[in-house]
Amino acid sequence: MAASTFSKCFRGHSLMGGLTTFSSSIQRLSQQTTSNNFLSQQIRTFIQMRTNLKVVDNSGAKRVMCIQALKGKKGARLGDTIIASVKEAQPGGKVKKGQVVYGVVVRAAMQKGRCDGSEVKFDDNAVVLVNKQGEPIGTRVFGPVPHELRKKKHVKILSLAQHIA
Amino acid sequence: MRLEKCWFCSSTVYPGHGIQFVRNDAKIFRFCRSKCHKNFKMKRNPRKVKWTKAYRRLHGKDMTQDSTFEFERKRNRPERYDRNLTESTLKAIKTIDKVRFRREETHHKNRMKGKAAKERREAKKEHDQQLHMVKAPGAKESTATLAKVKVNVQHESADNRMEE
Repeated sequence: MAASTFSKCFRGHSLMGGLTTFSSSIQRLSQQTTSNNFLSQQIRTFIQMRTNLKVVDNSGAKRVMCIQALKGKKGARLGDTIIASVKEAQPGGKVKKGQVVYGVVVRAAMQKGRCDGSEVKFDDNAVVLVNKQGEPIGTRVFGPVPHELRKKKHVKILSLAQHIA
Repeated sequence: MRLEKCWFCSSTVYPGHGIQFVRNDAKIFRFCRSKCHKNFKMKRNPRKVKWTKAYRRLHGKDMTQDSTFEFERKRNRPERYDRNLTESTLKAIKTIDKVRFRREETHHKNRMKGKAAKERREAKKEHDQQLHMVKAPGAKESTATLAKVKVNVQHESADNRMEE
């Protein structure tokens, strides 16, 4: 429960840029700066090696770094699966810092063509951690996810998601 | 198939056109073309950009309140297909379009009422007050008045002879 509320706070914080529920002010300050950088300088490129992604589920990880895109020469895009290493995790989560995990890119700042020819893009780069079989590790998914995940056989993520864009 | 409205210019976004941006709070911004998307990225307010529908509505350039706008509505529940209903709808679309077009023309005519008179008045005022802009201050009198002065050549020649 604590884990889920924490990650919820984190999400809300990144949206609004100001949230005062954190007890430690130092932590809040550091988070604010990173989130501000995130919003102002989100690079709109492929998800490639060393790309930092936000984790938007309650698996316990907060930030992962891509170490391998499983598809595509240039890197992963919206809906693709990546291998990542956990850079920041909260204590008591299912996932520990330094662990190597699989993840599905559920939000990408780079635009992706849709089946009808239009394009879609998101605010940030976000990932949902999955196991090797493609089942999500966490039990909740925060924020909007694209409906293209259905095509990629990630129906579970879609059903957990709050909003479908 | 749904025809969406562009967030910036309020034009119709047909399927396969434009780009949509999903904010982290799941608000979707749809744009009909890169022009609108770029203007959004520049953080421009569509109410302040003159070519958008929002500006034109806000400043009374376009007809805003009309019963013909009531027909075009977003319906979240799909209608059950009915052949007769569809047929009558298709017929009605044409009539409604015609009515709206006529009303828009009337609106434009009303808006433009008195424009010609106003322009004429302004032109007259400018002509009265700013004539020195047309005529240079050191310009000579027109030659037409000079030409009217008659010079009696005969008389002059007679005088000359007298002196001799």
